[in-house]
Order: sequence, then C-alpha cells, then structure tokens
Amino acid sequence: MAKKVLLAEDEKNVILGVRTCLDAVGYDVEIVEDGDEALNSVRREHPDLILLDLLMPKVDGYEVLKELKGNDVTKDIPIIVLTAKAEEEDRQRAMDLGAEDYMTKPFKPQELWDLLKQYLHEHSD
Amino acid sequence: MNNLPAPVNLHTITDNLAEAVFLVDRNKAVAWLNKKAGELFNTSTDAAQGANIIEITNVKKLDSLLDDVFEQEAELNCSYEEAAVKVKSSDQRYFFKISINPVFYDQKLWGGLVQFTDVTRFHEMEKIKTDFVSIVSHEFRTPLTTIIVGVEMLKEGMLGDLTPRGKEVLEAIGADCERLSRLIDNLMELSRIESGTIYVEAEPTDVVDLVQEAVRPLKFQAEKQGIELITDMPPNLPPVAADFNKAVWVLTNLVGNAMRYTDPGGTITVRIRQRGKRLFFSVEDTGCGIPKEDQSKIFRKYVQVSGADHKGTGGVGLGLAIAKDIVMAHGGEIWVDSEVGKGTTFTFTFPVFYAQESVSLPEADHEGG
Repeated sequence: MAKKVLLAEDEKNVILGVRTCLDAVGYDVEIVEDGDEALNSVRREHPDLILLDLLMPKVDGYEVLKELKGNDVTKDIPIIVLTAKAEEEDRQRAMDLGAEDYMTKPFKPQELWDLLKQYLHEHSD
Repeated sequence: MNNLPAPVNLHTITDNLAEAVFLVDRNKAVAWLNKKAGELFNTSTDAAQGANIIEITNVKKLDSLLDDVFEQEAELNCSYEEAAVKVKSSDQRYFFKISINPVFYDQKLWGGLVQFTDVTRFHEMEKIKTDFVSIVSHEFRTPLTTIIVGVEMLKEGMLGDLTPRGKEVLEAIGADCERLSRLIDNLMELSRIESGTIYVEAEPTDVVDLVQEAVRPLKFQAEKQGIELITDMPPNLPPVAADFNKAVWVLTNLVGNAMRYTDPGGTITVRIRQRGKRLFFSVEDTGCGIPKEDQSKIFRKYVQVSGADHKGTGGVGLGLAIAKDIVMAHGGEIWVDSEVGKGTTFTFTFPVFYAQESVSLPEADHEGG
C-alpha cells in the first residue's frame, strides 16, 4: 500500500511542485494549507510522514511541531520541515522541537525523495 | 581680521556646529560645552562645569578612551559601533562617532576636546540594508522551489517527452536556477556577517574531510566542462582550527570560481601544504588570469572583475568578499597570485589545531605576493 504523506504548505505553486514530485514516485499525498488543518488531518488520517512548512496561517509550523511531538499518539510520525527560513537558529528551534529533518528551500526532487526514503525506511532500488 | 563681519566669532561658530563638543580637563571634568552638546545631553556649561563628563553624558566608554588619549597624547577616533550611546534626555537611541583630541596649554597636556558626531541615520541605513538583503534572499527561496522542482522533473522526462531543443533550454534554466540559489546563499551569508551574527567555531578539523567535502559537489561539473580537478596534499597533515562548514564554503567557492574562468582541457589543482603553524590551501587554475590592476579589488564587496579574456563571471562579486571575512575570522589570510594568460592561484591559510592551545594564531610570515 502506498505510504501516506501529509504536506502542510500554504503556497499554491510549491504545493503543485511538491505534489507532482510525490505523485511521480507513488506516494499517497494529502494537502493542508494551514497549521490548524494540519493538526486535524494528522489526528484523522495518521499519515506515515509529514512535510511541514514553518510559516503558515492560523497555527505556524513550530506550534504544529510542538503539538504533534508532545502527544504520545503522534510523536513517532516523522516530520521533515520544508522551509525558506535558512537561519541556523530557525533550524535549531525546529530540531529542538523534535523535527526529524530540516530542508531549506529551494531543493531538488532527488533530495526530497532521498529524505522520504530515509524516514519511511524504504530501500533505494 | 578686522575686515571680518561681526558674526565671525567663536560663539557663532561653536553654537552652529553640528557636532556636540566638550572641553574637559585632565580629571575629565567639563570646562566648557557647545550649544549642541547642551541640547543633546540636556545641560549647559553653567550646569555641567566641573562635573565629570561621564556623569553628564552617561557614556561610560569615554573613561577608557580619555585615559588612552591622555596616556598617548594622541588623537583618537572611536568608530560609531564602539560608541553606541543612549542619550539620557530622551528614550531615543543615538549612535555617535566619538573623536577626542588632546588639548595642550603651556606646552603641557591640559585636557581633551571631545566631539560627538551623530551617525544614527547612517547606522539605521546599514541596518535597513542588512535586513533588506536578508528578507529578499528569504523571499526568493519559495518561488525558486517551484521552478527547480519543475525543471528537474521535466529534465528527467517525468512529465512527458521533450524535444532536444526543449532539453537544452531546460538545462540552461536549471543552470541559472543554480546560479540564483548560489547568489541567495551568498547574500544571506553576507548579511549575517554584516549584522555581526556570524561567528566561527574553530574546532579540530580533518583536512582530508574538508577538501573532499568541498570538492565533491564540483567534480561532476568539472568533468562535464572537460576540466581536470586535482587534489594534491601530503599524507599526515595535522588538523586545522576551523569551522568545518565555513571552511568548506570558502574552498568550494574558490574552486567554483576557478571553474568559471578555466576553459575545457584546463586543470584546477587544490594544493595543501604545511608551513610552521599554518596550513596553506591553494586553488590553482590554468585559466585566463586576472589583470594586475584588478587583483587588488577582487576581495571587495560587489566588485565584479571579468577575467583577462573578458569572460562573464556569473556572480555578483560577493563570494570572495565573504571568503575573506571567513578566513580572517579564523585568524588566517587570503590572497591572489595571477598572471594573464597563465592562470590564477588563490591561497588562504588556517592555523594548525594544537590540543594544548585552543587556537594557534598565525605568525607574521606572509607568503603572498
């Protein structure tokens, strides 16, 4: 069965790009456009992995991280932050809140696929 | 002198100076101040006379600055960063450049003339510039993501077939996206350095790891360009005291630069040598060379120098400026040797790491020229 990936991102064009990228390798992608929706979706769908933007409306990515990593039911879902925030302190803050990885925009599809494989424990062919 | 109009007198001049001026004696007691100083520090000559200038201005740093001037009997200029002053008469924060001149009377040092030049506006402009660069580079990242992801997938044929010309155009778009990404990274790095938020954490760093990490991402590109990329280092080099990521950044940048100026069939050699307590890292190319008159300015910010063959640089003149800042922050040096038509060698030094001393500072035996 295809792995379920939740993409929390509010930029339409980035959504299109990342979705195309994930569709191409057969992931089952769910899209949410703000932090509040992200939290609801995780509780409802329990995805295998979350790709999380930091700057989002309503509830930002840091809050989402805090909520999900502080909850026994969701704390083991790997979260990869995908963000334009390239400052070291932003990375540190996200990692301290429990993010599994942190990728700065822009990135190449291969870099994203490699990370997904790593955290979904898939072996490369 | 008698022909001068009436307003030409000491009071008219001192009252209309843009600088706040204090005359203090050897004990740092105020003897006189001008109108601007009175306005700025909410006082007057009558009220301040005899009082210590540090109490009047609340600029604690003046104490040591005056000591220095009185000791050396020399003029002293203090840059505005060092003399950021919050004036007590208002909540506004001002930035001043402070200049102190020794004052002599009867051929003996009597005191000092302290001038405050308001550089608040200049300081604010610098801050705006730094913030702007940081915001712009941040804002560029999101749209670039869509472009790069799209281009890469089209190139891989994952979104349908392309004509040969279509592929060629996509390769060009991809290469220019890389260039934009690099520019954004450089601007970010620069704004970090300028805002003073960067600091190097010098740790024992293995030189082989450092060189491999720096050269690896460029190997494929060099092969594609028909350039031979050689590393030449003796075995058993000691570790250097360096911030690994920043050191890698410098070396990658220099090799990337060399690749832009080297024609197919050319060679780039990354050479490491130890001399005393320093390691010398050089990046030598067989490119077109840099004309003598341009060599002195290539480390300045935003200075673009085209090679001797007027090839485009593909940069904005930030890489070398940042490289210099990083190397100097490690206590190292960087310089260039170049001959038109023969090639260019950039060399930088890092101190060898010694377990007993946390960082070994370089000696004065400069090897450049």
